[in-house]
Order: sequence, then structure tokens, then C-alpha cells
Amino acid sequence: MGKNRVKFEFLLLFAVFTIATCGLVYELVAGTLASYLLGDSVKQFSFIIGVYLFSMGVGSYFSKFITKNLLNTFVEIEILVGLIGGLSSVVLFLLFETDFAFQFILYSLVFVTGCLVGLEIPLLMNILKDKVEFKDLVSNVFTFDYIGALLASILFPLLLVPKLGIMGTSLFFGMINVSIAIALCYFLKLELKKVIVLRAKAIVSFLILFTAFIFSENILSFSEGKLYGENIIYTHSTPYQRIVLTHNKNDYRLYLNNNLQFSSLDEYRYHEALVHPAMSMATKVSNILVLGGGDGLAVREILKYKQVQKITVVDLDEGMTKLFKTNQVLVNFNKNSLNNSKVTVYNKDAYIWTKACKEKFDVVIIDFPDPSNYSLGKLYSLNFYKTVQNLLHTDAVVVIQTTSPYFAPKSFWCINKTVMNVLPQIDAYHAYVPSFGEWGFTIAINGFGTHFNKVNRKADGLRFYNYQFEKYNYFNKDMIAKDIEINRLDNQILVRYFDEEWGKL
Amino acid sequence: MKSGGNYNSSRRNFFKILGSTVLIVPFLDACKEKVVTFLIRLSGTNHILGHKLRVKNFPKPSKQIQIPYLIVGGGITGLSAARQFVKKGISDFLLVELENHLGGNSSNSQNKYSKYPLGAHYLPLPNLEDKELLKFLEEENIILGYDEKGFPNFDELQLTFAPDERLFYKNNWQEGIVPREGNSTAENIELNRFFKMMEEFRSKKDATGLYWFMIPMQLSSKEPELKELDNLTMKEWLQKQNFTSKPLYTYVDYCCRDDFGLGIEFVSAYAGIHYFAARKQNSSPEKTETVLTWPEGNARLAHHLKKYSTEKTLKNHLVYEVKIKNDKAVALVFDDKTKTSIEIIADKIIMATPQFVNQYLVEDRKQFTKNFHYAPWLLATLVVSDLTDNSSFPLSWDNVAHGSKGLGYIYNQHQSLQQVQDKKVITYYYSFSSSDCGKSRREIYKKPKEYWKNLVINDLKISHPNIEEVTESIDIHILGHGMISPKTGFLFSESKHKASKSIADKIFFAHSDLSGISIFEEAFHQGINVVNKVILS
Repeated sequence: MGKNRVKFEFLLLFAVFTIATCGLVYELVAGTLASYLLGDSVKQFSFIIGVYLFSMGVGSYFSKFITKNLLNTFVEIEILVGLIGGLSSVVLFLLFETDFAFQFILYSLVFVTGCLVGLEIPLLMNILKDKVEFKDLVSNVFTFDYIGALLASILFPLLLVPKLGIMGTSLFFGMINVSIAIALCYFLKLELKKVIVLRAKAIVSFLILFTAFIFSENILSFSEGKLYGENIIYTHSTPYQRIVLTHNKNDYRLYLNNNLQFSSLDEYRYHEALVHPAMSMATKVSNILVLGGGDGLAVREILKYKQVQKITVVDLDEGMTKLFKTNQVLVNFNKNSLNNSKVTVYNKDAYIWTKACKEKFDVVIIDFPDPSNYSLGKLYSLNFYKTVQNLLHTDAVVVIQTTSPYFAPKSFWCINKTVMNVLPQIDAYHAYVPSFGEWGFTIAINGFGTHFNKVNRKADGLRFYNYQFEKYNYFNKDMIAKDIEINRLDNQILVRYFDEEWGKL
Repeated sequence: MKSGGNYNSSRRNFFKILGSTVLIVPFLDACKEKVVTFLIRLSGTNHILGHKLRVKNFPKPSKQIQIPYLIVGGGITGLSAARQFVKKGISDFLLVELENHLGGNSSNSQNKYSKYPLGAHYLPLPNLEDKELLKFLEEENIILGYDEKGFPNFDELQLTFAPDERLFYKNNWQEGIVPREGNSTAENIELNRFFKMMEEFRSKKDATGLYWFMIPMQLSSKEPELKELDNLTMKEWLQKQNFTSKPLYTYVDYCCRDDFGLGIEFVSAYAGIHYFAARKQNSSPEKTETVLTWPEGNARLAHHLKKYSTEKTLKNHLVYEVKIKNDKAVALVFDDKTKTSIEIIADKIIMATPQFVNQYLVEDRKQFTKNFHYAPWLLATLVVSDLTDNSSFPLSWDNVAHGSKGLGYIYNQHQSLQQVQDKKVITYYYSFSSSDCGKSRREIYKKPKEYWKNLVINDLKISHPNIEEVTESIDIHILGHGMISPKTGFLFSESKHKASKSIADKIFFAHSDLSGISIFEEAFHQGINVVNKVILS
């Protein structure tokens, strides 16, 4: 019998060890998830550790009311911990939308898991108290408990999260938990009552967790949609960016690396403001260049002028332009503009392409992402605008999306001042785009043969721009910045302004 | 959703591991050092051909060339001398070079992704007093003009792009090379006091109006006080000024190793201060410490200079003896391609070669050239698939880890206009600072390339823990005699003075080691000055 008893004790201690490991993993998962989703990691971790330890105390207290069927209860708790802890991250990911309930459920889950883990240790000591000497019992149980905790806290950041992700980790440990319960059902079938029911419970729980584990990627992408607050209808990762298209009622939104690119409800305001002032004041509009703008929306506006003979689009990301040539929803937005016979698309680096280009254009429309890093900052430098100038016919017009003059006035006027150093006539204007806020543009003319208020031609069917440029180039005091430096490759001052201004929002 | 990005593939990997083993094994696996294999290549200056000078087992000359002027050595000094000949309307000269390319320490190489330097890689903005250099930079469209206040307008594409420097200090990257964030107040006070002293040195002049510290060295003051400074090591000088802060010592040591190959324990205090005080920072209104740089480093400048000696250059030619014969200067030259020797008979010969070479070519020079010390250097160019770090400050042109044994690395594609690079190419620098450069050199040539790979990788690991996994190739380039190293007493020494003296107005000496400071400007002026002297004589 002695050998069996050793086996019995060893099994239960191993169970303690796993419970401790798994329990701590669930706690870490909850803390990490809360920090990811809610921010303020110090607060989140602190609250979660507190609640978890407290609830373990609560569990320990209630353990004294369990007097019958100790071993069965122990196994059942093991199953429950696995199921609840394992599914906790899935539940939390899915519920993130509902802000208040999220926190409530987060702490409830932590509390329940804590209670169950808290129940286990005293319960186990009760089971073993007649079989092992008290001194050994306490020391063994707590040794395994703390080793388990150490293992969990080391494995979690180094191996588990990088390899499995948050959701995978909690599900994986749920399965381990339940596997222990299954193992106990098998090894202790003589000591346990109603083994078959217990085993069935354990196996069903295991299957639930396993299914969730297999589908965790789908859950993740579904919950990503929840994070955007809209339904994701399309996601695509190119070597340069992650493209996400969402749909909510009658609004489609395109995100590039989680930054809103356009909303279908108001993008006409942005693109009409970007394109039509330049197109109307230019002396000629037969040859047009678009830098950036792989969504084809600016091209759609340009094509409204019958005089246009040729449009060249240079966008780095082939994945992006391809998408806007082929995806049905997106082609509806740009009216199939990128497939128009007048349009040629080059998937090239704009700076390198511009340097090598020998052609000259009547209008150049520059629609790059905001200068949020040093790479993008180069596309707003003095040298770049000098390069662009080489592509301009006399009196050609250049327009540049210049971020928000309200949120980032220094950045806005920095770009303006940089262009001023290169081109003879310069102005700035802005328009309100609800999904972006107040948005601004820099416009410049390579000569004196036309001026900003000149309207040489109009397109029909515009919804926003009314060809009265003088209504857009007035800036209130809160959109003005003074003492601004020129953005050069060797100072990249714009990236610093931009970081300072958008960083504080 | 920070873990969402690479979730997919990593989970598949995890299943693979899980399939064959139990849970604990992958953990052990991750701890075990992974065996990473990548391409390592080792190269260096042509020391094998160079070392033939010691044995001098060359065939008898089978050919004779007569030329008025001969330049020996195609480094910056030799190339600059060629330019000066052309400027003076002289075209009947010949330049011989041991290597198969010109440029000396200003050479480069390239791979599929980028050019990269094999030596010097930048030129600080010139002092406004240096008219010759300004003129050269104008000729080569590096200076595009001058503004109304007289400041040169440098070509934006050739100035270092921002961000130019970052320092890994206390586990974080910070902007600039000087340790600033994370110091104690006392440490900051010392740093500020040090820089204030350097500023004073920068503007300090003697009674005759000469700067204490100037480029070229020749235009610096010869005050006895300076000679005293030269007799101290930089460390002794710092101690004498009651500096105690560790970050300051580490920083100054880095600067000295970076510019002279020798740390503060060996380098002269005059040289150490020269690093900070000789550049007057007066050629730009706002940013004072900017430098000019190119992906290939100073090979760009060498390239500009090369055009003056096209069709007048013999490469792979080793000069093994230079002497006066029948009132002519004669050089015996071994052609490594045809394995024959030539006798070149010239009116004047310019030895634009370092003194450790000259001692084998010209009689009676061993006596004073033994005081010329040259620190060995190692450059390692790595192709990496990715260069992740803790993102505390973005990748810059110059990236230095405070307190590291090496000198950090240069990001060679930093001057690229492109948005994205397939692979990144970085060049890591290391100088062998010791009191006995000869001994270090002998040891260096014995070590296998694996040894150098480990040295480079282990040093880079401080700031990039996963560098070994992302490295695809390493090209190690060893410069046995990397540069002249101004140990104490050298800059004002009698040996240096003697080594500069011409022989019978026929054989002239010019090299940055005769200035004592190995920088482009010194070599450039050595070349100009020697030609002026040759013409006058």
C-alpha cells in the first residue's frame, strides 16, 4: 500500500503544482489583456494582483465548508479552473466593446479563478492530512505551489506570449488544467466516486477548450473588428502596411496600420479639396502626377476634367493599388479610376522615382502619409521639393496634403515654409472633414502665369468644393504657428514638430 | 492587439515543437545557444605584398621610366598632391600604388544592398579658415554656394541626415553621443565643465595669433605649454583637472579611440583636446557638429580626387627602394601583375607613404620611424534582415553603445532617400588600443575569422540581443596599420620633425602621419603643401 500512497500523494502534489502555474498564468493573462486593452499597465496589474490574492483568501475561507466528497470536489474544481481560466481571455477579447461591463467581467473572472485556486490548497491539505505528517504536508504543498508560480512567471513573458499569444496561452493552460483532472480520474478511479460522470465533465471541458484553441485566430480577427468598433470586412497585410476595411451602417472606413485613411461618408470633402483648387487654377491640365494616393480617390476627381490626357500614379505599395483595382467594394469608391486607360500606376519609391523622372507635369498632387517618422519625413524635405520642381512645367501647380493646421500648426506651417523656399508662389488652405477634423493643404505655383483665385475650368457634380478658393485660405489664430524652421534632410525638424504636436493629443 | 501580428506563423512553429516533445523542452531549447550559421569573410590591406619589403627579394629592373615627378602612394595625400600638380599646370607626373585601387584609408566596398566604407567615413564641416578645403568642396558640388552671411550652403544630400547619432546608455538609446539622460547632477556638472573648457580651448590663441588647436596641425601654435600638454596622457590631464565622473571618462575615451585608435590611457592630452577644440564649428549658423558623409564613406572624396591622376597611375605596383643616383631620384618598383621590376628615374619623388613603409624604402630612417605608432583597426560590415532594438530612439547614422569595447556602428543606408530597405547594411568599427601596437598587430594576424565574428557579435548584442539571428553575412576588414596614433610626446617630437625633412631636395615626404593626426584634412593639406614645396625647390 505504501507505494500506492506515495503515488497518490505525488499525483495530488503535481496537481497543486499545475494549479499554481495555471492560476498565475490566468492572472498574468488578465493583467496583460487589461493593460493592452485599457492601458495604464501599472494600475491594471496592481488591481488584478490585489483582487486575485484577495479572492484566493476568500476561497481558502470557504474551503472549510466543504466537508464531504473532498476528492471529487477537488477534481471538479480543477476542471472549473481550467474551463473558466482558459476561456477568460476569449471572453475578455469578445467583450472589449462594452466598456463598463468589460471591467466588471474582467474582475469577476479574476475573482472566480482566484477563489477556485484558493479553495484547492486547503482542500488538498484536508485530503492528505490523514495520509501524510502535517509538517511534511505543509512544506510539500507550499513548495510545489511556489515553484509553480515561479515557473509560470518566467515562462509567461519569455516563451508563452511570444509563441502562443495571449489567448493561446490561457487556452493552452486551461487544457493542461483539465488534462490533470482527466489524469486524476484515471489514476484515482478507486478513490473517486461517480468517476464516469466526472470524466465526462472533464473531457467535454477539454474539447471546448481545444476547439477554442483551434479557432483562436478567427476569434482574434473577429475581436479585432470589435476593437475598431466596426465590422471588419477585409484585412490584408502587404510588406509595407496592414490594410483594414471596416463597415458600419452606410460608412466604410479604410485603416492603414490602424490609422484612418478615409471614411466613405466624407472622403469626398478631402479629395475634392485636395484636387480641385489645383486643377482649376492650373493653366494646363493635360499631364497629371499623383504621388501616394494608391486608393485612386484623388484620381477619380482628376478624371472629372475631360482635358486630362494622362495621369501617372506613384505609390510604393503594390498590394494597395492592386486592391483598389480589383476589390469590388473599393472599386465602387474610386469609380474604377485606377483601371482607366489614361492612368498608369508605378509601384515605386516616390523619392527615387521622382529623382529619375525626366517627364514634366501640369499638376502634381502629393498625398503622402503624415510625417510620423524619419523615413516619411524625407518626403517633406527641401531636397524633395527641389526634386519635384524639376518635374514641373512653368506655371504648373503642386498641392500637398499637409496634416491638420488645427492639431499640428507647427508641422503644417513647416511644410508650407519649406515649399516656399523652392516655388515662387505659395498659399495654404484648409477644409473640414468630419472624420479627420480640420485638414490642411499647401499649394504652390511654379511661375506667375496664373494665381490662386483664378478658375480656368470647372468640373461638374462636386458636392463640396465651390471653386471659391478665397473661402478656404483664411486661418484663424489657433491655426497659426510662428518661428518655424525649414525641414531639411539633415535636421528633419518636421518629424520633431509632428511628434511633439500629435504626441500630446 | 500587440501579439496579433506574428501570431499565425509562431503558433504553427509551436505545434511543430509540441508534436515531438513535452512542454519543458521548448523552454530549454530557447535557452540553449542557437547555432547560427552565416557567411563570414575576412579581408584587409595587402599586408602580404607589403611584407615582402622586409625580405626585398625582388627581380632586377628590366624596364626604365623617366618622369619629372613621381608620387609614391595613392591615399588621400598622394591623390591630393596629384590634384595640386594639375592646379599648378603640371601634368608630367606618375603615381604608383601598391593596392589594386586608390584611396588608401578612404576606400570602400559594396554588396547587393549598399556601398560601405573600408576606413574613414565622414568629413566634419570644414573650418571657415580652411580656404583650400572649401575650394575643393565647391569644385565637387559639396558646397553649392554661400549665403548672404558668408556661410557655405552645403548640399543637403551630403550632410548627415537626421537623426545622426544615438547612444545606448543605461539600457536605452538616447539622441547624441554624449551621455545625457540618466546621469547624476554631479556627473552633469562635470560634463558641462568639460565642454566649457573645450570651448575655451577652441578659441584660444597665442600671442602671434595662432590657434592653440588648429587643422591642419601645421597652423597650430608651437607654445611650450602645448608641448607639456602633449607629454601628458589624456587620462592624466583629466585627473589633473579634478574630473572624476565615470561617464565623462568613458565618453572621452570613446572619442579618443574613435579618432586616434588609442584610448585616454595612451593618447596624448594635446591630441585628445584637439579632437574637441580644433574644429571651429564656424561654417554653419545653427548646427555646429554636423558632418558630411556618404554610403561609401570618404571613398567619395577619394573618388573626386582620382580624376587628377587618371592615365597617370600604376596600381599593384610596390615601390621597394628609393634613393638618389646620379643626381636623380630613383625608385625601384615591383609590378605584382607581371612579376617584373621597373626603375623609375625622376627629378623629384614625393613619398606619400606612411613612415612605417618608408623605413624599408629609404636608407637611414629606422632610427626615427620607430617612434611612429599605428593602431590596428577592424571593420565589420554586416548584412542584417532586421535591426530591432528597444525602440527608445530610432536607428541613426552613428550608433554607439556607451562603455562598449568597440566604437559602435554606422548605418550605411542612412543617406538613402528610399522609404524601405530590403536588408540593412551596417559597419561596425573597432580599434585596438594598447601601449604596444606592434604586439597587438602580430596577435591580430594569428586569429581566425570566427574569433572576430564572436568579438563583433558579442559587442553588438549589448544593444541588439538578437543580432546573431538576424545577421546574414559579415565582412571583416582588418587594417594592420589603421592610423597614426599620437601617443604622448609624439606630436611635438624630434623624430616627427626629422621624418618630414626632404632629402637633397629630391625626395620629399608627405603623409598624415607626419601631421600626427589621421584625418582627411591633414592628408589633403600634406598633399598640397608638398607639391608647393617641390615646385619651389
